[in-house]
Amino acid sequence: MDINVRKRSEVHVVQLRGPLRMGEAVDGLRRTMEDMLGSGGHCVLINLAEVPMIDSSGIGLLVRFLASTKERGGSIKLLNPSQFAVRTLKLVGVLNLFEVFDDEEKAVGSFA
Amino acid sequence: MQWGRFDMPTEPTSGGTSNERRELLNVTVPATASAIAGVSDTVAGIMLDLGIPEEKRLEIGLALQEALANAVVHGCGNDPSKNVHCRLNCDGEDRILIIVSDPGPGLDMSSLASPMVGENLYQDHGRGIYLIRQLMDDVRFERGGSEIQMWKY
Repeated sequence: MDINVRKRSEVHVVQLRGPLRMGEAVDGLRRTMEDMLGSGGHCVLINLAEVPMIDSSGIGLLVRFLASTKERGGSIKLLNPSQFAVRTLKLVGVLNLFEVFDDEEKAVGSFA
Repeated sequence: MQWGRFDMPTEPTSGGTSNERRELLNVTVPATASAIAGVSDTVAGIMLDLGIPEEKRLEIGLALQEALANAVVHGCGNDPSKNVHCRLNCDGEDRILIIVSDPGPGLDMSSLASPMVGENLYQDHGRGIYLIRQLMDDVRFERGGSEIQMWKY
C-alpha cells in the first residue's frame, strides 16, 4: 500500500492507495498514525478514494486511532470512501462513528 | 506454494445441481500476512477471469481475506513455520466455494461476541467471522472450527 501524508494547517491528510488489509498495509498505516500522534497531530483526514477494500484489521485500526485522536481533542475523518468500503463499515456498525466527506476543502475546514 | 488435487467436500444448502465442478485453486502457504495477501490477489485474478461482477468479487475477496487472516492469527498463532491451506472451486452454476483450513485447535463459534453490541463497536478486533457471515451466502465450520467452508451463489 502507498501511504502519503501532507499537512494542511493543523490537519494531516493521509492518502492511501491499495487494499487496507492485515500485513504491510495495516502495519504501515499504524506506524504513520503513531508517528503523527507522537508529534502532536490529532486531526487526521484519511483519503480512501483509492482503497478498494478494508478488512477487519484495517477497521480495527481506524476505530482504535479514532478513539486516540478524540481523547486528544481531534478526530479521524474519512474522505471519498468507495461504495464497498462504506458498505463494509456499515456492516460492522462503525460507519456512524466517523464523519465522511466527499470534498477535501470542506473536510479540512470541518476541523476548525 | 504447494499445489495439489482438490475434491469438493460439501454441497451448498440451496437447490440446483452442481455436476460440473472446477478446481480453480488448491494452495498451501506459510502463515504470514504477505503469503495470504498473495493468495487473495491470486483469487482476485481468477474471479476477474471468470467474469464475476465487481461487487461479488469484492465480497468474496474480503471474506477470503478474513478467513485467511483468522487462520494465520488464531489457527497458526502467527507462526510462519505453520501452513494455511486454501481451496477455491466453482460448480456448474458458477457458485463459488472457498475452503480455508489451518492446523490449529479451532474456534468455538458460540463463544464469539457480536461486534455490533456496546463497547465491542470500539474494539480493534472481533469482526472477521461476523463480516464473513454477512458477505457470503452459506458459511460452515468443520474440524472443530479449524476449517471454514464458504459459498457464494
